[in-house]
Order: sequence, then structure tokens, then C-alpha cells
Amino acid sequence: MAVLQKSMRSWLMGNLVAGGLLLMILMMHQGTALPISSHCSINESEFSSYITNRTFILAAQASLADNNTDVRLIVDHLFHGVNMTERCYLMKQVLNFTLEEVLLPQSDRSLPYMNEVVGFLKNLRNKLSLCHIEDDDQHIQENVQHLKDTVKMLGENGEIKVIGELNLLLLFLRTACV
Amino acid sequence: MMPKHCSLGVLIHLFLTGVAESQPVHKPQKPRNVQFQSQNFHNILHWQPGSACPDNSSVYFVQYKIYGRYGWKNKEDCWGIQELSCDLTNETSDLQELYYGRVSTAWSGKLSDWSISPRFMPLWETKIDPPMVNITRINGSLLVILQAPNFPLRDQSGISVENYYQLKYRIFIINSLLEKEQKVYEGAQRVIEITTLTPRSSFCVVAETYQPMLDRQSHRSRKRCVGIL
Repeated sequence: MAVLQKSMRSWLMGNLVAGGLLLMILMMHQGTALPISSHCSINESEFSSYITNRTFILAAQASLADNNTDVRLIVDHLFHGVNMTERCYLMKQVLNFTLEEVLLPQSDRSLPYMNEVVGFLKNLRNKLSLCHIEDDDQHIQENVQHLKDTVKMLGENGEIKVIGELNLLLLFLRTACV
Repeated sequence: MMPKHCSLGVLIHLFLTGVAESQPVHKPQKPRNVQFQSQNFHNILHWQPGSACPDNSSVYFVQYKIYGRYGWKNKEDCWGIQELSCDLTNETSDLQELYYGRVSTAWSGKLSDWSISPRFMPLWETKIDPPMVNITRINGSLLVILQAPNFPLRDQSGISVENYYQLKYRIFIINSLLEKEQKVYEGAQRVIEITTLTPRSSFCVVAETYQPMLDRQSHRSRKRCVGIL
């Protein structure tokens, strides 16, 4: 822990601009500095039975409109070559992509509980906003890029597939981050 | 009465849709409401006849596939059957996967189109029963013995059914005098000793099965009661 704090301090000193940004974020968190090791984690209590149910019902509804049974986006293969400790960071990338590229542009879609689930995922995104890894993340970006490319390739059906797999996104986030 | 209604229905249908459709009129209608029903991970595909006036000689053909993979597989045991359900427990036993089932029917040598089920996630859709509870009093403590629900898989080398199905049990003690309920255990063990009991009082024990992954619990088991000396 002491080592972590020390490295954090030197990192702050070395990066005045980034450090300033971090301080601003910390201030937004009302000064409660989180230990750096907790940045890539989500408290189990975030996954309440209420929101889990809502997410699964939304995904089930959306999956009825997905007639491509040959392609699954959220698969174990996402974690191929990725350490256990980096998996939450990977899922953060998937979550951000899902929100920015699919859910926020599609949030007017009349699906049950869409707004509630989008709110829940935005909250998780905020919880992971400081999550980063020290090492090179190229292998992770490659795995995520494969998912992004598949969604793009499927076009509109790719977007409905993403929504139909929000249940899997939730389970994978929970496995990787709790 | 029924056959007459059916014939009339067919006639009206033919009249409204036009007899001169390109589709041959005798092509059987595909089965309806194809869906999985699941209890304790026993996954059964169910459907209804496509036609309102089912023929006793209708037979059904079942296929299944893993979501995200190519190709459908025949379910040999449900190939040309007359029943309206098919047990796909073994074919859908991987909890990491999601599945589809589909059914076609044949009538007078012609196959209907396939009717496909919704995407099926056993982990989410199965209804889990509570464990059976037995209790034994040992001096001042209580031994609770749980019996797992009836799962397709038994304990296998090194892995318990609880670990395989990602389940835990929760045990609650109800003090009959205070009518106060207290959770005394949450875990995957089937034999649990409860020691922190007030002497000279009577207790009831109930248990439930809990899926931590989904934050979901079964119904409660039957209550078992005992007095503590």
C-alpha cells in the first residue's frame, strides 16, 4: 500500500496537468480519495436484484428482435490473453463502447426499462472512470476492437444484438469487477 | 363439432387469403409457442400444434444450437415424435452458453417451416427449488442437514453440484416466542452446525437456495421445528 501511495505521489508530481485533473475528480468525489487498487472494481451491492431483473428482461425483449443466431458478442474469447487483474479494465472498454456507440444513440427505442438500465450502466461507468492499467493495453484494445468491428459489420442488427446481450454484459462486468 | 369448425375455418382462411397463393395449400403450419421451460436445470422444449385442428398423425422434428455458433443439430430422440415436448437437458447443460431450439412438423409427406424458440439462458430461466431440510438436536446446538434440489448432474470428481450450478443455501432460524427471523448461514455446505441458540426455547428452521450471480432466491423450504433443552 505504501509503495502504491508513493508511486501515486510521484506520478502526481510528474504529471501536473493530469494530476490537476485527478484532483478535480477527487474533489468531485467530495475529497474521498480512493486507494488506487480499487479503481478497477465495482461493489457487489451495485448489482441489486432489482436492476439485474430489469436488465435481463430488457435483454430478453431485445433478443427477440435479433434473428442472427450465429454471432455472439460477449464471449469468453474477449478475455483471451488477458490477465484476471486486467479483465475489469477490458469490461470497462466494452461498457463505454456499449453506452456511447449503442445505448445513448438508441435510448429512444421503446424497450422496457431502457432508461433505468442505461442509468444503471452510466453509474457503473462513473464508478470505473478512474480504472486504468499500468501496462501496455494493446492486446486488450485488440480484443475490444474485434467486438466493435463485429457490431459495425452487423449494422442495425448489431445494435439490437448489443442490447440483447446486456444480460451478458452485466454478468461479465460482475465477474470481472466485483 | 370440432372438425366441422376446423373445416369451416380452413375454408374461410382459403377464401380470405386466396386459393391461388404460390404456397401449396396443404403445406403444414409450423408449430407455435416454441419455448423452453426449466426446473432445476432440467430444460424441456415445449410447443403447440400449428394448426387449430391438429391431426393425430402430426409428427415433430426438433433441432437445437448454441447461440453464437453455426449450424443446427438434430435431436435424435425427438425426431419424428408425436409428443409436444422434448427433453434437451443434456444438450443445454453448459451454463456459460445460451441456446435455441426449433421445431418443424410434417404432414402427408411435407415439412413445415421451422419455428424457433426465444434465446434460452438456463442460468436465468431455470426455477430452482429450495433444499429439503432435516434437523437434529445435539446438546445445545442444532445440526441442519440440507438435501440439494434434484439437479441433472450429481457431485462429480472434485466439484459439488452447488459449485457447478453456482448456488448457495441460506438458513433462517425463527424463534417461536419472539417470532423473530434471523439468517444464520449462507454458503454452499449441506451440513451446518448452529451453536448460538438460546437455551430452553424452541426454534424453527427454513432454508432457501440462492443464486448470488443473479441475486435471486428460491421459495422457502418447509419449516422444521425443534425445542432446545
